[in-house]
Amino acid sequence: MPPANGGYMVAAYVAAAVIYLSYSAWLFWRSRSR
Amino acid sequence: MASLLAQAWAIAAKDLLLEFRSRTAFLSALVFTALVLAIFNFARDPTAVATIDLAPSILWITFSFAGVLALNRAFSLEKENRTIDGLLLSPARRTALFLGKTAANLVFVGAVEAIALPLFALFFNVPLLGVLAPLVLVIALATIGFVTVGTLMSSMAVNTRFGEMMLLVLVLPFLVTPVSAAASMSAKIFAARPFAEWAPWLKLLTAYDITFFVICTLVFETTVEE
Amino acid sequence: MTAIPAAERALRRSGVWMAVALLLVALVYVRALAFTPEEATQGLAQKIFYIHAPSAWVAFLACGIVGVCSLLYLFLKDARLDLLAASSAEVGTVFLTTVLVTGPIWGRTIWGAWWTWDARLTLTLFLWFICLGYLVLRTAVDEPGRRARYSAVLGILGALLVPFIHVSVLLFRTLHPKPVVLQTSRPQLPGSMLLTLILSFTVFTIFFVALLVRRYAWARLQDARAQGEADQSDASR
Repeated sequence: MPPANGGYMVAAYVAAAVIYLSYSAWLFWRSRSR
Repeated sequence: MASLLAQAWAIAAKDLLLEFRSRTAFLSALVFTALVLAIFNFARDPTAVATIDLAPSILWITFSFAGVLALNRAFSLEKENRTIDGLLLSPARRTALFLGKTAANLVFVGAVEAIALPLFALFFNVPLLGVLAPLVLVIALATIGFVTVGTLMSSMAVNTRFGEMMLLVLVLPFLVTPVSAAASMSAKIFAARPFAEWAPWLKLLTAYDITFFVICTLVFETTVEE
Repeated sequence: MTAIPAAERALRRSGVWMAVALLLVALVYVRALAFTPEEATQGLAQKIFYIHAPSAWVAFLACGIVGVCSLLYLFLKDARLDLLAASSAEVGTVFLTTVLVTGPIWGRTIWGAWWTWDARLTLTLFLWFICLGYLVLRTAVDEPGRRARYSAVLGILGALLVPFIHVSVLLFRTLHPKPVVLQTSRPQLPGSMLLTLILSFTVFTIFFVALLVRRYAWARLQDARAQGEADQSDASR
């Protein structure tokens, strides 16, 4: 019976997504040619 | 080669003579080191942990931080009246400039350490006399390690905004090897462990010193070119 | 003067790649979360591995690029190498941050503690410090030529430091071993998990390249504009 640690999995996946999306968004908008 | 060393010696002698005349930087560094050692006494619980177990940490945090702060001196004194231009225009080779500055820094930091070591032994009841020789070897090797890298970094930091802070930010990652090696070796030496137990650290620190001495000497020229 | 329109075109193209890459990352997320079996001993938290390991690979790749470009810059003095190194350092820091966030979360489930000075995570931590130092150094130097030279010096020294930190940490740990709560031997990944891992590595590499290209294109554009302004103020004298 594996341990019930799905919460950690979600936390890690969400944290990574937040980091990647934030940087991608920042990079995309800051670098748009004006 | 001989002229290179002679030039380096001349530059180191100039720096040390200036330092000896005013003595401000040296005395400040000494007082700072002594104060840090004294404050450490209050940053621990003597009933919980035996002093001898904490001793290596206290020694090496104090030495490495005091040492790095002392490094600012080398190039900031050249910035004041732009005497760095004079040095660069002189026939002295850039490598000699780096070697001279590093040597002066080593003497400076070494002198502070030489005075702080007996103070450390006094404050924390560390029996040093029996283990002085290996301990001095360790102190010398670790100091060479962080002074070499620190001198190179300070030649850049002096030309940036927030110079002192920048020096710390740049140098601290480079302290991992010297400090971990020195602290681990010191712990073994204080506990009178056989040489074989700390030999791996000695090899690592020696390799580190040689590698970074060579690299820093080679790239120094880039940091002062215009 | 022709540098600016070319740089602007490069920038526009890179936007498409970023969108594609993000979509691929989303697909990897779906694959890892919904279509990959749960590991028997570690539970669902093991799936963090599919994000953590590829991020680490990419982060180290980014740092390698910084090291190589720094070394080349010192010999070739080509400003483009400096811009590429700086771009790689910035993007690399993002991936290093992800490793340092997902690592402890996963570690909590394996080791019972958030941080155990594990050899790989500790090395990653110090790489992160060096990259941050690199980026801070760049903001603290105004003159582009000097900024490039200083960055290159730090890049080379940082690259050389990495093996020493690795050995220091290993030596430190063998002499101070830490207990492990859950023994996790190298899991032999069955087919489906291995496929997810390979897909993840591929997609994350594509994602890194897309971000790097965008960041580099932006750096080139800023550099071209700054060059244009400098030329104009020279000409108007």
